[in-house]
Amino acid sequence: MEQGARAYQQAVQVLPQRLRREALCLSPAEQARAEELRLRAGWPMTVVFPEGERPLGERPVEPGELEQLVEIASHASLHAVLDQLRRGYLTCPGGHRLGLCGTAHLQEGAIANLRPLSSASLRVARQVQGAARSVLDQLCPGGRLESTLILAPPGLGKTTLLRDLVRLVSEGEGCTPLRVSVADERGEIAALCNGAPQLEVGRRTDVVEGCPKAQGLLLLLRAMNPQVLAADEITAPEDVAAFRMAAGCGAVLLATAHGAAQEDLRRRPLYRALLEEHIFRWLVRIRRTGGGRQYLIEELR
Amino acid sequence: MLRLLGAVFVSAAAAWTGFQAAAALRERARALEDMSAGLALLEQELELGGLPLPQLMASLEGRCAGPARALFQGCVQGLEALDQESFSQLWRRLTASQTELGREGQDCLAPLGEVLGRCGGSRQCQTLRAVRARLDACAARNREEFRRQGRVYRALGLSGGVFLVLLLL
Repeated sequence: MEQGARAYQQAVQVLPQRLRREALCLSPAEQARAEELRLRAGWPMTVVFPEGERPLGERPVEPGELEQLVEIASHASLHAVLDQLRRGYLTCPGGHRLGLCGTAHLQEGAIANLRPLSSASLRVARQVQGAARSVLDQLCPGGRLESTLILAPPGLGKTTLLRDLVRLVSEGEGCTPLRVSVADERGEIAALCNGAPQLEVGRRTDVVEGCPKAQGLLLLLRAMNPQVLAADEITAPEDVAAFRMAAGCGAVLLATAHGAAQEDLRRRPLYRALLEEHIFRWLVRIRRTGGGRQYLIEELR
Repeated sequence: MLRLLGAVFVSAAAAWTGFQAAAALRERARALEDMSAGLALLEQELELGGLPLPQLMASLEGRCAGPARALFQGCVQGLEALDQESFSQLWRRLTASQTELGREGQDCLAPLGEVLGRCGGSRQCQTLRAVRARLDACAARNREEFRRQGRVYRALGLSGGVFLVLLLL
């Protein structure tokens, strides 16, 4: 509980003073369970628990406070996070993720800016060390890790499971230690700060952060000679192409995707190719059970 | 003997006043040039990559001199407390405290608080270039004034001292 509350307290450091005071009114037990904070202009800030959303305080969030939130979270350095902002999020120290909404300004058909902001969600990144221990044995038949795709709807802990899997494999806990390379496009897996991972990803792990997954994966293949390649959320055809290439080079692949069941993957052309080419051997589905998570492992071949 | 000693002191004080007035002009020009050089480094770093301002300014403070160093140091400290003071307020407060730049120099710097860290790197570099051009022009004016007026101030100090001594003796 203490570790969960600490992550929450670290996450709320990006809030303007008044909102931070409100956020810290929760008891340590509630702080440890809180998953997100939601800020909508004109409405009081709310906190999201596994069972639902609840308001914090009565004073509505002002548009100026949303601007201040972005200034604090970006260290007054929008130029350094402009690419992230254009994609609607910002990764904060500790790997916490600030999602943003507002009026989009387009330039040549692409989002150039989001101003004024209308709402924000601050998702607390939590490291659950040992989360992947129960699945690792099954993913390593004969002690050798095989390519694995983690599948779950948003908010069920795909990144948490992937991060712990990376840590275990890199440390050699429960399997032969391997060199792992992570393409951490949004900085949520390792959360680099001055080059050092803020979240535990293991001593044999190399991380490239902030660049599109496809480019990151290719860079890692060329530069770091990885035995295992990991990336969060396959969302674009370029990501699929990079994974295909990596599979051809003999690297074990670890990745996540949005969806609830194998059928979801088969329905979407993007993933169909990955399944047909048997790029992944294992599929790990995550299901919420009461207050916890259940991992279901299926073989894809 | 005592009168002679007094006369020496009076003339020295008057001369010192004249030399100080001349030195102030030179120091202002130097402070403006140091600030412009500091901003040139900032522009260079911004062109090179997208480091956040706290890291950028921390790396620059050791490479700059005079008011630029003090300004970047103040920014590094202030950027840790953005929940209490926004960057534009911080910049305004810090530039207002740079008295060695003179009013004109402070006015040149002020607009940067609305641009630094608030837009893309190229836009920031563009604004930095414009501010540096204004600072350089300001420094050149001060140098020119030092050349013209510095000698006058020094001569006035010396002759004023002599005049006072003659008057008092």
